[in-house]
Amino acid sequence: MSALTTAAPGAPVVSLDLAGLRRDPYPAYAELRRSAPLAWVPSVGRHLITRHDDITHAEKLPEVFSSREDGSLLLRVVGPNLLREDDPAHRRLRAAAEPPSRPRHVRDEWAGAFEANANRLLDELAGRGEADLIGDFAEPFAAANLALVLGLRNATAADIAAWSKAMMDGNSNYADDPIVWSRAESATRDVDTAVAEMVAAVHGTPDGSVISSMIHAPGGLELGEIQNTVKVIIGGGFSEPRNAFGVGAWAVLQQPNLLARVLADPSKWKQVFEEAVRWISPIGMYPRQVTQDYELAGTMLPAGSRVALVIASGNRDEAVFERPGEFDIDRPHRPHLAFGGGPHFCMGAWIARHEVSAIAWPQVFSRLPGLRLASTAAPRLDGWVFRGLTSLNVTWQAT
Amino acid sequence: MPIVIFRCPAGTQRKVDADIGASLMQAAVAHQVDGIVAECGGNAACGTCHVYVDAQQFGRVGPPNEVEDEMLDFTAAERRPTSRLSCQIEITGALDGLVVDVPEEQV
Repeated sequence: MSALTTAAPGAPVVSLDLAGLRRDPYPAYAELRRSAPLAWVPSVGRHLITRHDDITHAEKLPEVFSSREDGSLLLRVVGPNLLREDDPAHRRLRAAAEPPSRPRHVRDEWAGAFEANANRLLDELAGRGEADLIGDFAEPFAAANLALVLGLRNATAADIAAWSKAMMDGNSNYADDPIVWSRAESATRDVDTAVAEMVAAVHGTPDGSVISSMIHAPGGLELGEIQNTVKVIIGGGFSEPRNAFGVGAWAVLQQPNLLARVLADPSKWKQVFEEAVRWISPIGMYPRQVTQDYELAGTMLPAGSRVALVIASGNRDEAVFERPGEFDIDRPHRPHLAFGGGPHFCMGAWIARHEVSAIAWPQVFSRLPGLRLASTAAPRLDGWVFRGLTSLNVTWQAT
Repeated sequence: MPIVIFRCPAGTQRKVDADIGASLMQAAVAHQVDGIVAECGGNAACGTCHVYVDAQQFGRVGPPNEVEDEMLDFTAAERRPTSRLSCQIEITGALDGLVVDVPEEQV
């Protein structure tokens, strides 16, 4: 079925400026939740769904809210892939790729190497007394871990970071910038080459990586399927943990009482993680296309309608979270939407939780004593499809 | 149709009709039982549909499968010998009257 590129009859039409959304989408989301929880936004070409209960409703109906979206930006960048498939095609790919990201595997197989990656970076930083925790720590840390988990031994952390940024910019290129497309295409060619090399290398010798898991899964996957899955994982597996790390570190550095509490009891970092991804969700929204006429939030969406599930907005919904704009690790337990829901629940959730809350934050805050925000450069947030700090300048007592 | 009973942490009970062939999680979600979050929709990937099967009845559902067993080590509420993920329990006629406790926390 082809996608409808127009508003559903009767749907409110709300004009939003994409540059403004990138700077700070939250005021617009609050207004949408209040006055137009399902609204056609021409600059996005989709109906934005912004309330928590409508989003969870849609997530639980993948047969209606399909991931097979015509004209998807992700399809254009990566080619056919598991994020833009429904079950059973999605399930087949996911089942092949998933085992190395399951929680026991993370704890038993990856945690030691993640620790070593953090230590190596902090050995280099500790004597400096100042750094940008995003560029100097979070990015190389997330990239090195990702190269390891994927099994891309032939790629550097810098390669992974550059590929991820180029592809993610393509995935969110709603402004259709030709330079962004060209950089994304160049990155995907490089990833395809690197994956093909490693597929050949681990064919006879499984190594516990995601690439290896996909080759040796029952039935096995084709090279193109492996390449496209790796591209999807490089997209999210780098920037999402980076952004969770940055937002959580920033939030804690702004609240001296909270900082003292987590330093005294590092088990609290788990709560910091869940609150950080609720407060400023690394993935702000994802698209779906409805397969049949379906009524949601008072609007009848005709078959083929395009929607965006704005999980960043659902995570600030006043109906679910009191004082949603505040960072509060003690708020009542309510399920946030940051990892998505349904069959596409984030495959990297257990890796991200462990590498950020059990390793990165505890190591950074213990190895860099007296860590505080630098007075010279304020942290900057950017993005709405994907959102996080682009820099986090800090100082500490050099050791 | 089998009836299953969810005992919630607040002390309330929910008796719900469960479709044969559906999962215990789906029965809970269909009747909006508080505390069964089920983020991943039934794929044993998130650990948020955790229940404690009534100890006297654990033999009726049996032990967790391998993938579920792993996930149960990482649930928000403590794992107990009677822990199961409700998405991995298929409703059959033999489960009529099953009682499970919903833990305090799923996330």
